[in-house]
Amino acid sequence: MSDRVLVASFEHEDDLLAATRAVRGRGLHIVDAFTPYAVHGLDKAMGLRSSRLTWVCFICGMIGAGGMLWFENWIAAVAWPIDVGGKPWNSLPSDVPVAFEAAVLLAGFGSVFALFIVSRLFPGRAARIVDLRATDDRFVLVIDQADAAFDVAAVEELLQEFDVVETRELAPSKGGVLG
Amino acid sequence: MTSPSYFSNDVRRCLNGLMVGGGVVLACGAVYAPDRVWANLLLAAFYLLTVALGGAVFVALTYVTGAGWHVAFRRVPEAMARLLPAAGIAMLLVLAARMSAYGWPHAGEHHPETFWFKELWLTPTFWMVRAVVYVALWILLAGRLVARSQKQDVSGDPAITAGNTRLSALFLIVYAVTFSLASVDWIMALEPMWFSTMWGVYNFAGMIQTALAVVIILGLLLRRHGQPLHGVFNNDHLHDLGKLLLGFSCFWMYIWFSQYMLIWYTNIPEETSYFISRTKGPWAPVVVLSIVLNWIVPFIVLLPKPAKRSGAVMMRVAVVVLIGRWVDLYLMVMPSLMTDGGTSGIRQRIFPQTISAVPDFAIWEVAALCLLVGVAGRLLLRSFASASPIPGKDPYLKESLHYHAG
Repeated sequence: MSDRVLVASFEHEDDLLAATRAVRGRGLHIVDAFTPYAVHGLDKAMGLRSSRLTWVCFICGMIGAGGMLWFENWIAAVAWPIDVGGKPWNSLPSDVPVAFEAAVLLAGFGSVFALFIVSRLFPGRAARIVDLRATDDRFVLVIDQADAAFDVAAVEELLQEFDVVETRELAPSKGGVLG
Repeated sequence: MTSPSYFSNDVRRCLNGLMVGGGVVLACGAVYAPDRVWANLLLAAFYLLTVALGGAVFVALTYVTGAGWHVAFRRVPEAMARLLPAAGIAMLLVLAARMSAYGWPHAGEHHPETFWFKELWLTPTFWMVRAVVYVALWILLAGRLVARSQKQDVSGDPAITAGNTRLSALFLIVYAVTFSLASVDWIMALEPMWFSTMWGVYNFAGMIQTALAVVIILGLLLRRHGQPLHGVFNNDHLHDLGKLLLGFSCFWMYIWFSQYMLIWYTNIPEETSYFISRTKGPWAPVVVLSIVLNWIVPFIVLLPKPAKRSGAVMMRVAVVVLIGRWVDLYLMVMPSLMTDGGTSGIRQRIFPQTISAVPDFAIWEVAALCLLVGVAGRLLLRSFASASPIPGKDPYLKESLHYHAG
């Protein structure tokens, strides 16, 4: 990504969706889109690949279940065996509820923290907002000015077809808009 | 008015053949092996009832949650709900045909001090009257729900949606109480000394799984080329039904295990009897099979997103789940009624006269399954064809047609 972008604002989600498709159709690179709420179908229009968080979630869940089963078995059968109702020390059914809870806990926390790490969200991180109105009533599309061939005027003309209300060029300092 | 016919005559003939063939074999079997045939009929009637009730519950749940995504294919669960009169009456006939199968007249003799309430509750007349009341309530409420939805096709009155939401809330409350009691009265009472307080929710879990699988199969069949839901029932609807099936398969396993674990942990003889006869000895592999079909297969296969959006995968999983539902009900019914030590000889193996202590899949099971598939298929096709295939004036229809599953 170059360090110059074109920021376009729209008033309606349908305009944003159509513009996103058209911009991608031109072979331009979309940095990101910002909307006040989740817009259905935007991920498809932007051509985002499916999230890999599900794998993090699944693997964390398996680690939670497997690790807890091993731990419970170690406690109950190896480290401190106690006779409960005459049942065998390594009784699997009694281990299942805690293993299930551990799977859910690890899968949940694992997904959330993986998301924070991947999107570099930490406490105290300065908010970088391209357009404040994207938090209110505007739909904002950020297009990468990938190379010298990027024709701002032509792109603006294309965006006019979708009732763009504002376009401006932005040259964010190091790290780009999304940092 | 002639109803449109959505499926070829071959399909119809095939379903008729299954129905008549299964029926004739069972009719002969009713004389030769009455216990075994009755148990299979009980299973089949209860299965059909869960399809019908499940459709009604699906419709009611979507009304009370204000859902709009399902409207495009709502006629499918509605068609299932319209099976309630037939399924309910079939159930009542099966129950009335052989009340002696329920062992309660003698069960209390050895435990008078703990059995008094059961004796009262399971008095045959009271028991039968209750069954009629349950079925009548379901037919009345679910029938009204579906009829009003069809009335909206003409008037387009949005007040019908609001009214159906209230009616659905009432139906769900009535359903929750009566279906719990019905599953206890009709299935759990086969072993009158045994009890489980999770029986109602366990049967609910199975019922909703059955219903979702049937909705998926019918939806996929009806969206093929030339069928009425072609281009209407899309992959986003399928995706959400897949999520629900995945979720409720896990729910079934959760409830199954919860029931098992509490009984295993407490280890009281009158509670453990049910699981000892099933998880120890020759029935244990069937329990494993039931868990594989009802939970492991849907869980593993439906976990990835592309699987839930693929018609071919969803069709197969739904069929596996429906087979799993039969196995689960088989495990609820058969071991409670087993009478002898086992079957021997080739003739006894194919035409067993009683329910043996060993799990057994013979001609009566095949015939009852044929009858179930034939009757359910014919009734569902007829019921679907008798109304407009899409609720054309439902206020949520547009939302449903443009629905995107996340």
